[in-house]
Amino acid sequence: MDKIYNDFTINVATANGTGSQSSNLIILHSMFEMGVPVSGKNLFPSNISGLPTWFIIRASDKGYQAPGDDTNIQIIMNKDTWDKDLEALEPGTIVIYNEDAKMPVEREDCICLGMPMTSMARGISPKMARLMANMYYVGGIAHLLGIEEEAISSAVEQQFRGKENAIAMNLQAISEARSYASENWGDVCKFAAIAREKSSETFLIEGNEAVALGCIYGGINMLSWYPITPSSSLAEAIIHWIPQLREADDGGSTCAVVQAEDELAAAGMVLGAGWAGGRGMTCTSGPGISLMSEFIGLFYFAEVPGVIWDINRTGPSTGLPTRTQQGDLSMCYEASHGDTQHIVLIPGTVDECFEFGWRAFDYAERFQTLVFGFGDLDLGMNRWSTSGFDYPSEKMDRGKVIRTQEQLDAISDFGRYRDVDGDGVAYRTLPGSGLAPILYRGTGHDEDGIYSENPQVYYEAMQRLKKKIDGSRDVLPAPVIREEEEGDVGIIFYGSMENSIVEIDDMLEERGMSVSTCRVRALPYHSEVEKFIERHDRVVVMEVNRDGQLYGILRKELPKHLIPNLYSVAYSDGLPPKAKEYANRVVEVLEG
Amino acid sequence: MVKLNVLNLEKSEYKGGKSSLCPGCGHDQISNVIIQAAWENGIKPEGIAKMSGIGCSSKTPAYFLAKSHGFNTVHGRMPSVTTGANMVNKDLAFIAVSGDGDTASIGIGQFIHAIRRNLDMVYIIENNGVYGLTKGQYSATVEKGSKKKKGLPNEQSPIDLCAMAVNLGCTFVARSFSGSKKQLTALLRAAMSHRGMAIIDVISPCVTFANNDESYRSYNYVKSNDEVLHIVDYIPHFSPLSEVEVPEGEFSDISLFDGSTLRLETVSEDHDPADAVAALRAIHEGTRDGRHVTGLLYYNPNQPTATDALGLTDTPLMELSDEEMRPSLESLEKVNAGFRAR
Repeated sequence: MDKIYNDFTINVATANGTGSQSSNLIILHSMFEMGVPVSGKNLFPSNISGLPTWFIIRASDKGYQAPGDDTNIQIIMNKDTWDKDLEALEPGTIVIYNEDAKMPVEREDCICLGMPMTSMARGISPKMARLMANMYYVGGIAHLLGIEEEAISSAVEQQFRGKENAIAMNLQAISEARSYASENWGDVCKFAAIAREKSSETFLIEGNEAVALGCIYGGINMLSWYPITPSSSLAEAIIHWIPQLREADDGGSTCAVVQAEDELAAAGMVLGAGWAGGRGMTCTSGPGISLMSEFIGLFYFAEVPGVIWDINRTGPSTGLPTRTQQGDLSMCYEASHGDTQHIVLIPGTVDECFEFGWRAFDYAERFQTLVFGFGDLDLGMNRWSTSGFDYPSEKMDRGKVIRTQEQLDAISDFGRYRDVDGDGVAYRTLPGSGLAPILYRGTGHDEDGIYSENPQVYYEAMQRLKKKIDGSRDVLPAPVIREEEEGDVGIIFYGSMENSIVEIDDMLEERGMSVSTCRVRALPYHSEVEKFIERHDRVVVMEVNRDGQLYGILRKELPKHLIPNLYSVAYSDGLPPKAKEYANRVVEVLEG
Repeated sequence: MVKLNVLNLEKSEYKGGKSSLCPGCGHDQISNVIIQAAWENGIKPEGIAKMSGIGCSSKTPAYFLAKSHGFNTVHGRMPSVTTGANMVNKDLAFIAVSGDGDTASIGIGQFIHAIRRNLDMVYIIENNGVYGLTKGQYSATVEKGSKKKKGLPNEQSPIDLCAMAVNLGCTFVARSFSGSKKQLTALLRAAMSHRGMAIIDVISPCVTFANNDESYRSYNYVKSNDEVLHIVDYIPHFSPLSEVEVPEGEFSDISLFDGSTLRLETVSEDHDPADAVAALRAIHEGTRDGRHVTGLLYYNPNQPTATDALGLTDTPLMELSDEEMRPSLESLEKVNAGFRAR
């Protein structure tokens, strides 16, 4: 049979809590081991056990990482979604199913391959049969795609590290399934995995763990957190790495961790840490940002450094807690009452998750303000490829902190909020130092930090704050621009959309469009973003939300003559962005 | 000759700005006691951090200890800001002022969790039973049947912050009255010598909205219904015991963390501050009889504080060098290699 190599999508339908995650990761890692470019996405419910869950594995020599638009191989294990999973398939799809489910498989137009997975698993371990059954579809897939045995062994060992018994049992299950499939199914699959040269440098990692390591290397002194999906694994990764990486000579830790009573307290602790001269951080998701908003205004107005990572999930309200979105962008940018504006860092890769993890603290202390890290469930909780993290290229920037009387005396007209350098950033002293103490406050204050309701004092303070944040634009990460010479259409996008852009770009080029792309990596946006828009007559702002939040920000801040060039493609259904959906919408909006 | 404290500082070194509260406000008396206690205890002003939330009481850090940094935070959230500051600088002496609105309503969650962590701070509640800055609404600590100057009597049961603190295992719980300068000074000095969460609930009459005789928190009412548990005397660690007059009646001494002593002279019945049940009985009997029980209600020393439990390095984290905060290049190479080997 003529084979299609390394270009297919596998969808595994199971129930939450049945141990299928191990099986799915073994499929993913075994192909990764062979050098097949793969990505995996876990679509899980807000539930510990019982509700349906899907895992999507995409193999693509072109490096496409969006979930494939069509499923090529469907594995069905979950009775509750059985019929619907089958119904949704295109003719010709390969279906692997557990015969022991005793469910009908009425798709004559598909290639349906059954295996008595549970009864076979019972032969290895009667007690564990329900969990072990999942390992049989791994063997089935391994047979169909020709996944190398060595790669499977290595992935199983990685999954059950150190548990010799589990490794042996699972390898036996996979091997039995492979033999069964070979005898009973034969060579029916036109898709195959083929080994590619694999860099020995690359590995897969979740964005949240990459941010966590970035924070560790950014010198985080205090993590306060309140559990919330999908950010909890970020906090837990920091907690995991502290003993290894942040131990002082006396054996004590250099980073305090507090599990807060709620998100309000978590934000307050970050504020306290920043005020007292430490590097504080918390991580949360949209609902947490809503709760933290009061403190966020205090960060801004009292000019206290701090970092909050928002791992976006689908809002509004409790929304879809285990699904992804870029729905918090405008909230983060302008959170809290009154006029506010915050720095937002938007990584698009796990490498940037690490980099922005450490940089966030430098920006926060340099600009004496709150800095948001903006991630999402897709980037944060799925595994992405990296060739290893680069050590911070710059020294820590602790900002304008006066630590000695001499430093204080050197400033002729010191005031906590006086702009002596003309860049909008004033000097600060720390509690405990005895140097020029003030009572910090969220009420109106003059340049010396004294309470004031004077209209001119208030007006000038607010103008200085605007100037200060505006001054960060070209210090923050510049956009990543991929420009076609004859590019007539520009696409602006951000964050985890990076994982779909290559495929979207290819689809648009196939339709005869020449597309340049600009990935925004921070707000307030870099001057290069404006120049990119200047160079293109039509610019589509593409994002994973309903209302076009970045589009709105650009419309508000760009010079008037550029606004007619802007188009918005904003779409969100909770799932990671599929390329075709966005490509079609881009065509629609430009032609419509 | 000007009097100097143990650090050779004048009392004026501990003063603050001019108060903008109503003349006669109990809070101003408390501010004066804070100045007095910090001076007498010889605490370095620069080593103190003044913390507060929002409300009349929370404005007062501007009126004492001008040489200390402070933070007038947001309503009810002072404990979390204090927690964060404490985490990165455990050497700061935190003196916090809050009110009954700030603590018993909007901030009750943070109050509870700060106690639960045994945050190392002095937490003063200036408790008048009304919201002053918004012009005299009842707060959640006001007694059932108490009536402010205008409007109907309060019909809801009060939240007793001291009883709550005792129940939560707070390591130092005291109640006093802004008009009892001697008692309040001794208790505050003892709180400053304590390591861990020290709560002093101070009845502080609101002269503008609730100083009428029908108010359980008016000067007249408190003066005639103050049930003193014991007479308190503070003996600092830097002053030899022999110089202090030994009382004629029964007394007991309590040792504080910094080596100072709080002497409790029995008034009628002996109150054992180590006995949480006795503390709760005294509070509840007082409530039943419409009386305010004042003194050191509960004391449970030598409990681990919020930072003790974390295994932190000795140096306050905000003093660490860049090298101590950023792991080495080699360590990152090891991390990368570890992932590659997975």
